[in-house]
Amino acid sequence: MGGVSARCKHLYVHIPFCPKICPYCNFYKEGANRWKIPKFLDALILESRKIAHLVELETVFVGGGTPTALSSPQIQKLFLVFKQYLDFSKVSEWTIEINPATVSLEKARLLLELGVNRASLGVQSWDSSQLLTLGRVHTIFQAERSYNILRDAGFKNINIDLIFGIPGQTLKSWEKTLEKTCSLKPEHISAYALTYEEDTEFFFKLKNGIVQRDEDLEVRMFHLTQQYLEAAGYVGYEISNFAKEGFESKHNWAYWNGDEFLGLGPSAFSNFMGHRWQNIENTEEYTNRVHAGIDPKNFDEIVDYEIKLREKIAFGLRTRVGVPKFYLDEQKSGPLIEEGYLEVFGENVKLSQLGKILADEIAAELIP
Amino acid sequence: MGKTILRTRNFCIIAHIDHGKTTLSDRLLEFTGTISEREKQDQLLDSMELERERGITIKAHPVTMWYRAADGLEYRLNLLDTPGHVDFSYEVSRSLAACEGAILVVDAAQGVEAQTVANVHLAHKHKLVIIPVINKIDLPNADVEGVKKQLEDILAIPGEESILCSAKQGIGIGEVLEAVVQRIPPPVEEDEILRGLVFDSVFDGYRGVVGYVRIFSGSVERGQEVTLMSTGRHYEVKEVGIFTPKPQVQEKLVAGDVGYFIANIKTTAEVKVGDTLTDGKRPAEEPLPGFQEVRPMVFSGIYPINTADFEHLKAAMSKLQLNDAAFVFTPESSVALGFGFRCGFLGLLHMEIIQERLRREYNMDIIATYPSVVYQVEKTNGEVVEVDNPAHLPDMSVVREIREPIVRCYVLVPNENIGDIMQIMMEKRGTVEHTESLDTRRVMITGILPLNEILVDFHDKIKSVTRGYGSMDYEPAGYRAADLVKLEMLVNGEVVDAFSSIVHRDKAEARGRALAQKLKEVIPRQLYQVAIQAAIGGKIIARENVSALRKNVTAKCYGGDITRKRKLLEKQKEGKKRMKAIGTVHIPQEAFIEVLKAN
Repeated sequence: MGGVSARCKHLYVHIPFCPKICPYCNFYKEGANRWKIPKFLDALILESRKIAHLVELETVFVGGGTPTALSSPQIQKLFLVFKQYLDFSKVSEWTIEINPATVSLEKARLLLELGVNRASLGVQSWDSSQLLTLGRVHTIFQAERSYNILRDAGFKNINIDLIFGIPGQTLKSWEKTLEKTCSLKPEHISAYALTYEEDTEFFFKLKNGIVQRDEDLEVRMFHLTQQYLEAAGYVGYEISNFAKEGFESKHNWAYWNGDEFLGLGPSAFSNFMGHRWQNIENTEEYTNRVHAGIDPKNFDEIVDYEIKLREKIAFGLRTRVGVPKFYLDEQKSGPLIEEGYLEVFGENVKLSQLGKILADEIAAELIP
Repeated sequence: MGKTILRTRNFCIIAHIDHGKTTLSDRLLEFTGTISEREKQDQLLDSMELERERGITIKAHPVTMWYRAADGLEYRLNLLDTPGHVDFSYEVSRSLAACEGAILVVDAAQGVEAQTVANVHLAHKHKLVIIPVINKIDLPNADVEGVKKQLEDILAIPGEESILCSAKQGIGIGEVLEAVVQRIPPPVEEDEILRGLVFDSVFDGYRGVVGYVRIFSGSVERGQEVTLMSTGRHYEVKEVGIFTPKPQVQEKLVAGDVGYFIANIKTTAEVKVGDTLTDGKRPAEEPLPGFQEVRPMVFSGIYPINTADFEHLKAAMSKLQLNDAAFVFTPESSVALGFGFRCGFLGLLHMEIIQERLRREYNMDIIATYPSVVYQVEKTNGEVVEVDNPAHLPDMSVVREIREPIVRCYVLVPNENIGDIMQIMMEKRGTVEHTESLDTRRVMITGILPLNEILVDFHDKIKSVTRGYGSMDYEPAGYRAADLVKLEMLVNGEVVDAFSSIVHRDKAEARGRALAQKLKEVIPRQLYQVAIQAAIGGKIIARENVSALRKNVTAKCYGGDITRKRKLLEKQKEGKKRMKAIGTVHIPQEAFIEVLKAN
């Protein structure tokens, strides 16, 4: 089960600002308000001081929202202070999410200089009309330019985020997006099926019949993704994540392993010392609470053995490593292996190609 | 010859629903001073909440009134308010048997209705003197002459005997009471041996069973040893009394009286409707005629939605049974629904009332399965078994014949709907015996139909094609052989017992197809393909597939998603647990409810 060490190795930082809200996104975010940002950053710094004695970091992930919505000086100040308070000496993977419209060569260089060594670029699609459907602020030209900027600046580890199953997208156009992505040779690709999350504009449109889903097409796109990327030399190490050898995200693995991590910022989750908690999902209140010395925690649960086992199964099955066979009730796993939904290798069991696309149904069947 | 009890009259009021039976009863009570204006509560005698709501009487409510007649003498009038629905026809027949006469109430605007006809037939059977009362004569659309003609033409009751009345306005009440005294014969006592007809009973938490009784001969008093002839059990009488309408303790009940007795009896099942109460030491040689064990006509399974509620449900049913010996239940289990009860009812209304009371008074969440009648199955070895649950039908290879209960049905409809009604009757496998014009507007169609066919939507259909003007009533008419088959539903090759039904061969295929289609709609897609089949005697007649689930995967699972995701999976898991597993197939509770629910 997940490692429990004296010190926490993984840190997540949530920057909730976005230049524009995408209609499919259910992460906690809000429009960039220049007046709020400095006070918010101070709150992050205050919160980081509170965890200083708890961490000995190996991975850091700065996500959002759009972290690059922050100005260069803001980023510089924040990261320098983090490095001053927190033990960064063993950090080997430091990722920042980048929106293609918000990165300049100067900002990219600054990030590298500060120690960020992995960039996750939210390209989503190489088709202009699909970007429009997704409500993205960037164009495909900006996306390619941003990629090149990151490379030119010296990033050796770049992830490209893609989405398939976009309303109006064909199998052919998805294949083109995969092709274009591979031609750029990123070290890592995350390919997500569009999820209609509750409380999003897309969910509303689906519910009201404004957009339709073609399940059959989604299934074909899913399989195409797996086949295409494997053929291009990427290893699918989790349902939606593909990497060149040696470039699997350590930070992601921490989540799927059930390892401890700490999160800073509004809505950020932490998993530490047998608890999981989440900060309040409201930037202003988060900021005020931290400044007033009040715990910004909004939700807290005890992660006991049973919960841990459930999570280990639910998330472990999704990875290329799978979970030990003895975690599972044989009466339930047996028929699933027989039907070809699960694959056995050695002492472990994982989802087969057929099973991956039914991961949730299978997990619900298998969790104790 | 026996002794005539000159100053007592026993009578009941019969009427089609809403023709004013209860209002007239209330007026009689007021007019005789039995209840004062102050005590008055509309529909005084229908005390159960459901009775008031539905405007029907379920329990018999006797009441004794004193009336000084025009001849200057005071008479004791015993009014028996009888149940007003065919489901309770046996109870009605016992109440009628306790009387010498009946007031027949007919609505002046509506005229004779189906229930009027059925009630009059029943009253004639008991040789009751009938006093026709045309009620609601104050209505603008009252047609007194028309109704008189209907009485003569349809029921052979002389129109000039009718008393014109408006119970609501208090018109004609005195005349009705005079007619009761003048026209209804007084009771006659054959000898002095105690014979009392039990016509109903209620359970009182403190005093046990209160038996309602009409004394035909002899007398009964506190301390007397009595016996009930159908069971032979002996009791010591603790109290006797009459209803005025509140219970009023009496020294004794004598011949001609209608009242109650209390004798430390624990369950209403011991005090059977129609039984004869007699003296324990000097019993009557023969019981009063007409006693029958009450036999349920309609059966349905009642299951708790939450299996943990089984004991609660049992307790609730037992409580209902205390007051309603006609309601029977035995535990049964179904592969699909778990543990529940097979319940027998007198008819559809009775079934609905029990289910409603379980839900409303006992807050039970229940599933009631599709109602079934009682079939007589004759096996090839000559043995006849009664089957009230399709799951228990013997293998067809050893069945020689299946007989189903049939009813004689009276349907009164406007002329223009004759065609529609004949059509409906044919669809319901019925035959029309005869049609009769009631007046220029309406006809009465009498037909024989299988009880099974009228259980669910027959009445609704009549109401809907006649836009509410039609009425119907029915009486049991024995058994008839029919080409019946057992329709089974299979899920991935396994028979699901709860979905089995006994249907006519001609209808089996259509019903099988409809059920398969319905199941396809309610069974969610899952990891494996689900085959739904309908079969008659092993032969598949319909098939539907629920294709396997193609895709159910969350794309993003990171730190913030873990709790949410796990909770979703746990919820999904719980959902699966609540479903019934038939092999690898999970069938949601809703599927059973959709397919099995009675309406």
